Amino acid sequence: MSFGERFLRNPDLFPARPSGEAWGERDLELDLAGGPYLFSGLSPAQAEAVGERFGELCRPAAATPAVAARLFRMAAGDFLAFDVRGWEYSLDRDAAPGALRLAGLELAARLDWRPALGGALWTPDAGGERFGGIFENFCRVLVAYRLVEVGGVLLHSAGVVRHGAAFLFLGPSGAGKTTVSAASLAAGAEVLSDDVNALLPAPAGAGRPEVVKLPFTGDLGDRRGGRRAVPLGAVLWLEKADGDELSPLSRAAALGSLFACAPFVNSDPHRRDALLANLARLLAPAAGPAAFKLRFARRGSFWSILDEKWQQSTPALC
Amino acid sequence: MATIDPGTVLRRRSDVRFRVVDDEAVVLRQSAAEVMVVNELGARILDLADGRRPLAEWIDALLADYDVERDALLADVLAFAGELAASGVLEPVPEPALDAVAGGKRSAP
Repeated sequence: MSFGERFLRNPDLFPARPSGEAWGERDLELDLAGGPYLFSGLSPAQAEAVGERFGELCRPAAATPAVAARLFRMAAGDFLAFDVRGWEYSLDRDAAPGALRLAGLELAARLDWRPALGGALWTPDAGGERFGGIFENFCRVLVAYRLVEVGGVLLHSAGVVRHGAAFLFLGPSGAGKTTVSAASLAAGAEVLSDDVNALLPAPAGAGRPEVVKLPFTGDLGDRRGGRRAVPLGAVLWLEKADGDELSPLSRAAALGSLFACAPFVNSDPHRRDALLANLARLLAPAAGPAAFKLRFARRGSFWSILDEKWQQSTPALC
Repeated sequence: MATIDPGTVLRRRSDVRFRVVDDEAVVLRQSAAEVMVVNELGARILDLADGRRPLAEWIDALLADYDVERDALLADVLAFAGELAASGVLEPVPEPALDAVAGGKRSAP
């Protein structure tokens, strides 16, 4: 099946450039990692829906944006209608050297590098019930690509703060990120997001990379709170088991784990080399975090071995 | 899958990138959204797989670094090279391409 056929009635008519009829005249800014991100051309209802979904992160457009994106109208009849019950949603993507095309449920979008990264989103939703989800799906991709430009990475992960440091729990779908997040909350830790988190180089160019909270969560995490950045404590590759066990990961294995959990960009043949280079820098010996494989039991007692490791090896764990 | 023997000349597939990290290598294939991590020997093999030297010549280079019997090393390298070829990281160089590399003077091993 070729690009767009799952979602669009006429994939051949996919917009060739970021232009069209704007939904309205509202602009807003999102204070997300790699930003600020300016979104323009929204209707009042769309702007209200974005504000409702992202809370403190959403503010009137003011500063010079790092990334600009525009919203355009697209007829509902241009999208195929189908039953999505029991269906795992994934976007259609088509990557080229200077552009990325996206198609999804009531969503057609593109990212263009001209040479700065910019985005465009076409949707038939005027700001109704589904608009927040459509907008967020576009934002996730936009942020993933922007983070690569600033030396970082978007990671499919659970981000948990404890001892003043951020622990990133990684693993494929079903590895236990939400289970670990729930157990961490019960143990008194803070969950940034149980779904995706941003990892960025240290702000001063030296020291530990930072985990930056994103409003993209699954069941646990805070969508509407303000921006929060926490020094990275450790990277943990999850594996479900009958008991708890912590074993070191080599830097190469850690790099491979992070790469596998970097959605969208890791399968883009034009930008995955840059992603790999970013990860190598983030894991460089001078700044690199400790990395472990965590085999854990569902009863949620793994924090006792992590706490013990932290107390034994601080600052070596950092 | 072509048979790999000491005379086989292997090269990295054009869509493969690799980066040495400490004693290991991270291998990136454009066709997959994940990377492969190989050990120190795998990293050396990736470096040696330049599409010019037959595998037997790799053994000469590797014997300088590894204190093992030649036959044992050859067996390990053949097995490892076979795995890397099976997973799409390495590929045998076709004979015409070898002739071009060697200016048409290369004889069969």
